[in-house]
Amino acid sequence: MHATLCDLMMDLVQNSVEARASEIELSISETGHQIAFSVKDNGKGMSKELQAKALDPFYSDGEKHAHRRVGLGLPFLIQTADAAGGRVEIHSEVGRGTQIDFTAQADHIDLPPFGDFAAAATMMLSQADGFELRILRSAGGESYSVSRSELSEVLGDLNDTQNLMLMKTYIRSQEDNLRKAG
Amino acid sequence: MAKLTLDDLRKLRDGKKQAMNQRDPEGKTAQVIIGMGTCGIAAGAKVAFDAFLDEMEKADVTHASIKQTGCMGLCFSEPTVEVKMQGMPDVVYGNVDEKTARRIVRDHLKNKTLVSDHIFDKPSTDIIKD
Repeated sequence: MHATLCDLMMDLVQNSVEARASEIELSISETGHQIAFSVKDNGKGMSKELQAKALDPFYSDGEKHAHRRVGLGLPFLIQTADAAGGRVEIHSEVGRGTQIDFTAQADHIDLPPFGDFAAAATMMLSQADGFELRILRSAGGESYSVSRSELSEVLGDLNDTQNLMLMKTYIRSQEDNLRKAG
Repeated sequence: MAKLTLDDLRKLRDGKKQAMNQRDPEGKTAQVIIGMGTCGIAAGAKVAFDAFLDEMEKADVTHASIKQTGCMGLCFSEPTVEVKMQGMPDVVYGNVDEKTARRIVRDHLKNKTLVSDHIFDKPSTDIIKD
């Protein structure tokens, strides 16, 4: 199972990238006793049948690894929500995209720690391929947003290590501000 | 730290860029590729990524870029990291925890010696065509 909520988000965003989405939106909100995040993309989407299969840890479409018989991304997500008084909802349509919503009780004893969001976001935003990723983040009445296109416009090459450091510093400052307010 | 704006970020970047151009005119000659499928993430790819960034900054390694890929088919040895560099063989490292990531930066990227005890020669055969 993943160690932090950030790891779950990274996994979902990676799924969207692999579903060849050109637009991905990750929103995360913490309100009182609830934490929620959702990933919405315009990737290839899943049929009803495939959605059901994707929840089975012993199912994989076999596209990337011909002999593989496990697919743990979504099962990990559902396991975490179940353990922490929350739920996962999947809305998906072939050819249009997928939206996955996760909620959990923020103060639940079995909720994994949130994790280092600045580092996670830096990884998500610097993945290969020409997709747009928008991150919308809110907690305790404060919010910020950051997008891959604006960062690459300001920084240039997002795989450059200096730029990655700057990106992390930038997101860290937004996070600090959010935490202070919350 | 005060909340940065995009303009602040632009200024920081211009400052860094100037310093870097003076020091490293040849551009990027090395690539570090980190696997971040479910297996990589679960095993700590984020920790490795962070350690690479931090150590490159500390060791003043500016000729490398960091990229990401999905699962390389070596789930049992995640986090896996491929390093490609001019004048060095392409290498896939396995079980790259924070300490190993820092060693790869110091030894492989900076001093051009392999971190032998973490090497896998190739990604798994079911995803490599040649």
